Amino acid sequence: MTAGTATRHRDGVDTNLRARISRLPRSAVFYGIVAALVAVVAGQWLRVSPPSAYGLCSACHGRDLANWVLNGTQDAGLFVTAAGASWPLLTVVGLVVGSSFAARRNGEFGSIDIGGNARQFLFGAVVMCAALFVGGCPTRIILRTGYGDLTALLALGGVAAGVVLATLSLRWAASR
Amino acid sequence: MIVSLSSLAVGLIVGYLGQRSRMCTVGGLRDFVLVRDTALLKGVGALLVTAWIAFGAVRLVAETDAGNGLIAAGTTPTGLRVVAAVVVGGLVLGFVATVSGACPLRQHVLAGQGRVGAWAFLAGFYLAAVVYTSWIAPHIGWWAV
Repeated sequence: MTAGTATRHRDGVDTNLRARISRLPRSAVFYGIVAALVAVVAGQWLRVSPPSAYGLCSACHGRDLANWVLNGTQDAGLFVTAAGASWPLLTVVGLVVGSSFAARRNGEFGSIDIGGNARQFLFGAVVMCAALFVGGCPTRIILRTGYGDLTALLALGGVAAGVVLATLSLRWAASR
Repeated sequence: MIVSLSSLAVGLIVGYLGQRSRMCTVGGLRDFVLVRDTALLKGVGALLVTAWIAFGAVRLVAETDAGNGLIAAGTTPTGLRVVAAVVVGGLVLGFVATVSGACPLRQHVLAGQGRVGAWAFLAGFYLAAVVYTSWIAPHIGWWAV
């Protein structure tokens, strides 16, 4: 009788723990911790440097990959950082493949077209230019701020102001 | 060789978790301003705090190019012109990324799960990368790399 209760109790703790671990990838905080750790380790010990704090970036790594391909095929002589000069940085490929794998595994994969694709194309171009100007996509700006980069802190302030401004103007446009 | 493998691994891990958590760096502040939802904002905070602690820990155990102080060497902006330019650049980045719906990293994740608009965004994104390095950067230089 006692043994039975004890076993069932331990069973409950076990399944509870397993359920909590399986829910962990859904947490944004878990994402933040893992992404920062992975980026720091890759930048410090796995050759994704220099420049400093370069472990994770969608804009700079994308630029390095695009320019690496053009340099290799057209001999274009475009700028590539020291990290991605001899071998390509495949972070952006990993991002798309990893997310595609996660979506397929959980039944969330599917082609969705909500329109406005020409507009999105233009937004993408402007975002890339702005990101390369301030030295990284928002994720890398946060990484560089953690690294102790004052310029990145300024850029982060600018991004935060831009997000608030855009959100308020979107709300204003929607409620008009 | 190592850099390709490690960056691919970083991308796979972050892409997987990014799809599961719907994490977006501009989404954090946007959701907070719009509906007072702090779930994504906590993720942004965790990213910043973990990066700060991890870079500090690396400074203790290994040789880095960051120096010893809290502020990394050689990152202080020189003059008001640079400060204004970087803040305005950030402002444009934040504004347009929010209007387009997600930060660049989240657009990669959305492209992976099949959003057509995200593929259009990425097409403009990579075209602009080449345009910027070929024609814009030679005129204004690389302000921050």
